[in-house]
Amino acid sequence: MKRRKRFAGVMALATGLLLSACATSANNSGGGASGAPTEEEKTPPKLTNCTNKMKNDAPQVSVWAWYPNMPNVVDNFNENHTDVQICWNNVGEGGDEYTKVQTGISAGKGLADVVMLEADRLSSFSIQNALVDLAPYGADEVKGNFREGAWKDVSQGDKVFAIPVDGGPMGMIYRTDVFKKYEITPPATWDQYAATAQKLKDAGGPHFGDLGSNVPALFMALQQQKGAVPFGYDPAKPQDLTIKLNDQASKDVLNYWADLVKRDLVDTQDHFTTDYISGVVSGKYATYVSAAWTPGYLTGAGVGKGSSKGVWAAAPLPQWDAANPVSVNWGGSAFAVTTQAPNKRLAAIVAKGMYADPASLEEGWKKQIIFPLSKTVQDSPDFVNNKSEFFNGQTANKDVYVPAGNAYKGTVYAPIQVYYYAQLQAQLAKIINGKTTGDQAADDLQAQIVKYAKSQGFNVTA
Amino acid sequence: MSHATAVDTPSPLNQPTAPAVSPRRRSLNERKKSRTGWLFIAPFALVFVAFLILPLVYAFYLSLYSKGLATGVVFAGVKNYATAFTDPSFLRGVWFVLRFAVVLIPVQMLVSLAVALVLDALTTYLARFARLMIFLPYAIPAVIGALMWGFLYSPTFGPMQQLANIFGANAPFLLGPDLVFVGLMNVVTWQWAGYYMIIIYAALQGIDSSIYEAARMDGANAWQIAFRIKVPMVSSALLLILVFALIGTLQFFSEPQILQPLSNGTITPDFTPNIYAFSQAFSYANFNYASAISFALGIVVFIAVYVFLFFTRKRGSVFT
Amino acid sequence: MTTTSIDAPVGAQTTSRGNGRRPQPGSGHHILAYLFLGVLVVYFFIPIWWLFVASTKDAAGLFNGSSGALWFDETFALLPNLRDLFTYNEGIYVRWVANSLFYAIAGGAGATVLCVLAGYGFAKFRFRGRRLMLAVLLGSVMVPLTALVIPTFILFSNLHLTDTVWAVILPSLLNPFGVYLMQVYTAEAVPDELLEAARVDGAGEIKTFFRVALPLLRPAVITVLLLSIVGVWNNFFLPLAMLANTKLFPITVGLGLWEGQASGNNSGGANLWGIIIIGALVSVIPLIIAFLALQKYWKGGLSLGALK
Repeated sequence: MKRRKRFAGVMALATGLLLSACATSANNSGGGASGAPTEEEKTPPKLTNCTNKMKNDAPQVSVWAWYPNMPNVVDNFNENHTDVQICWNNVGEGGDEYTKVQTGISAGKGLADVVMLEADRLSSFSIQNALVDLAPYGADEVKGNFREGAWKDVSQGDKVFAIPVDGGPMGMIYRTDVFKKYEITPPATWDQYAATAQKLKDAGGPHFGDLGSNVPALFMALQQQKGAVPFGYDPAKPQDLTIKLNDQASKDVLNYWADLVKRDLVDTQDHFTTDYISGVVSGKYATYVSAAWTPGYLTGAGVGKGSSKGVWAAAPLPQWDAANPVSVNWGGSAFAVTTQAPNKRLAAIVAKGMYADPASLEEGWKKQIIFPLSKTVQDSPDFVNNKSEFFNGQTANKDVYVPAGNAYKGTVYAPIQVYYYAQLQAQLAKIINGKTTGDQAADDLQAQIVKYAKSQGFNVTA
Repeated sequence: MSHATAVDTPSPLNQPTAPAVSPRRRSLNERKKSRTGWLFIAPFALVFVAFLILPLVYAFYLSLYSKGLATGVVFAGVKNYATAFTDPSFLRGVWFVLRFAVVLIPVQMLVSLAVALVLDALTTYLARFARLMIFLPYAIPAVIGALMWGFLYSPTFGPMQQLANIFGANAPFLLGPDLVFVGLMNVVTWQWAGYYMIIIYAALQGIDSSIYEAARMDGANAWQIAFRIKVPMVSSALLLILVFALIGTLQFFSEPQILQPLSNGTITPDFTPNIYAFSQAFSYANFNYASAISFALGIVVFIAVYVFLFFTRKRGSVFT
Repeated sequence: MTTTSIDAPVGAQTTSRGNGRRPQPGSGHHILAYLFLGVLVVYFFIPIWWLFVASTKDAAGLFNGSSGALWFDETFALLPNLRDLFTYNEGIYVRWVANSLFYAIAGGAGATVLCVLAGYGFAKFRFRGRRLMLAVLLGSVMVPLTALVIPTFILFSNLHLTDTVWAVILPSLLNPFGVYLMQVYTAEAVPDELLEAARVDGAGEIKTFFRVALPLLRPAVITVLLLSIVGVWNNFFLPLAMLANTKLFPITVGLGLWEGQASGNNSGGANLWGIIIIGALVSVIPLIIAFLALQKYWKGGLSLGALK
């Protein structure tokens, strides 16, 4: 009897503790507001769980990032700073890290001060009041070092939610051996792309390319290239969202690729799978519509070595209208400051300075880890004239990626970007399986996303 | 106590035989026993309440609220649950896991039971090696499963494809829309058969072998011993496994989640209810709705388990 | 046979058990049984064979190998892979192995202790609220753990225990299935009469438990211990959610980290695929050792015949 009473007492007390301590947390995600620099600055606590070692006793800022050369990046920063030190951990790449970020936001604590985020995720977190607007913290100091498109990707209106690091200007890489064998040349327009693909097929060659359903970000970029503007969002009016997913441009691109699939001119394998990589290696795909970081990725997967050595070249992305070329971007990441950071000023210093020094950037691009967005690097002759080993000595940066990056105008990402990607992926899968047409997919997608946005409380302009 | 008695009464001895007392006055002995009982379960109960019940209560509390990305938190009461039970994604997922459970569990149990019986009957070195081999898949971390099955199921260079190449045919893609059921069944059976086998085997090892001698003297052969003696004597362990396998299968998560990148779009973010809850929580930041989906799934599991126990109540079990 | 001392049952158990030899079935059944086992062993073994073969390949061989998935490549890269495994990132893998060992032993052993005690309590004592407790226990596992991640995270945050070893060990102590399992095993293996006899002889409950019940439960305890250890060893999602410090990761989360890097675009040329696969292979070895070490406890099992 007594035992049970004590039990109940303990349980009640614990429940009370738990609920009271966090009655506000999961329901009020994020925590503190992204205030002005006049906010009281707290000295951040000494952090003990760092992968790297400190170089001095300055206050510490915690960082989550997954670049493979982060140990050097962090050391480079720590050695050159006496005002702040970085405490870094790699808590996962992409989705895995985002799971932790979301957990930290929902719980109201446990988030690092600075997190590496891909640009298309920023809205999803900023709308939960989890990211600090860096405009009041000197974002302007570094703005000049980035191109217009790169800066737009990390901004919403006047607010700047992250400092860019790397990007993914798009181009088309192709197999020189296949092209030589079948006497074809890189197409400059999408019409030519389809025609060349047909020619290759008729001659008994491999698939000209591959449409993967698991790369919705890539597909969105392709739609943007024809003029689609999927989303309009201004944090000044955070409850308004413009959604335009079934305009003619979006439909045209969907129809185009659906047609290529139907005519069996492109394969339908998901990207980044073992089958896909082996296909790339064995020349199963004559071209790969991809981004500047692709060679690095492929090299890590063993492509470009052995039998597939020196058979790759880079060409600009085919255009819809050769007279008015449009450049697009796929991927890229940046450093954002979270609202859970105890000292936002120091965190902003880290976000601006990390991976921005010459040593880190040089290692980054020389080892094919990143395509840096820093103008200082992009304008340097070393970078522009770099003869890429993957591309058999071609100056791929000069020919393709730097011009593409320069011309890129930036994208507006929605707070519901992830949900949109998932639905786009489902539609692409349907197209691949022949279960829907491009037009229908666009209309269905528009209806789904509008419905979802409304259920999330947005005022939707369709 | 003779052998015969032990053989004739295979029902599990779950209910401790306590002397009947009037409900009014429990003897000192009874109360002492009661206190001791609590003493033994106290350590577990403490951890259980702290790390399972408390979070569960809080999760339930969250499921009663609704939060839009653009709006604040709003008390929703049972609205989330109404939405969940009419959500086509949730319902489709439930339908899938129900079908999956109905097919998978008998297959898995039969394999595990058969193996456990065979291993129980043989004691050679070969049998012991087999025991290790069958247990091993359970020891492989699921994280590596994706890579492993990616290669094994690969339509390009998997062993099935290589076999099919001999005949000039195309091996079926076991994670494609038509065959994903089979493909997943294979992965799960492979991963978990050893786990259940070990449990049944340990229970079988606990039976006194002299019972078999007596039965043999009465003229029973190996099959009869297996099915008339061994199986009934481990029936409570079997029932336990069946219930937990049912719960686990309805909560199907790890294998499809890990294999999703390999499935060329077949495994969607709402493929099973548990995966759907996960997507809602961590991809779309809808934690409140995710909580409601989880509890809705819990309700489905509860009904399924209740129905199952209802149909097996005659056997008597640890649950009744 | 009545026991005159509480130690007698152990002795009785041994003699009635003999050497644990099982009577062999007829030779015809023998062949069938071995055939059946053989087929199954092949089925279970093929993917493990793949793992071994794959660990001897480098990335190029893996994705574009000459002999397919199940046979060795021209380049035999086992030793280089091993070397890379233990030197990558300053040997963080060794740290992960140590972490996994620590979590699995602490968590697994701890869980087993709680399960054995609770199973015994449920099986052998009738107390008020027993049925309710069992029902709550069963009910609580019906809600998927997905719902509990964030609340548990909040709970540990409030206790300032996130990103510590306790965040992994404490939740690992929970094994409701283990409790039920121990209850079933205890009910079958420990006769009430034996306990009553001990009590009549004046032994306290604790002593009765340790001297009478526990020896009879040895195979069951070993089973639950083995399954708990493997369960904690292979736990992925819980440590992933709770830990941010790479130095505290168990092997599963560590491999997941590398796999994410390799699948994305960030291996920076390092031989990540090679070390992921061989890392997985190496991580299975301690479990094999544990299995082999513990399996001898299955002989000499629970005995109903001790009362003869």
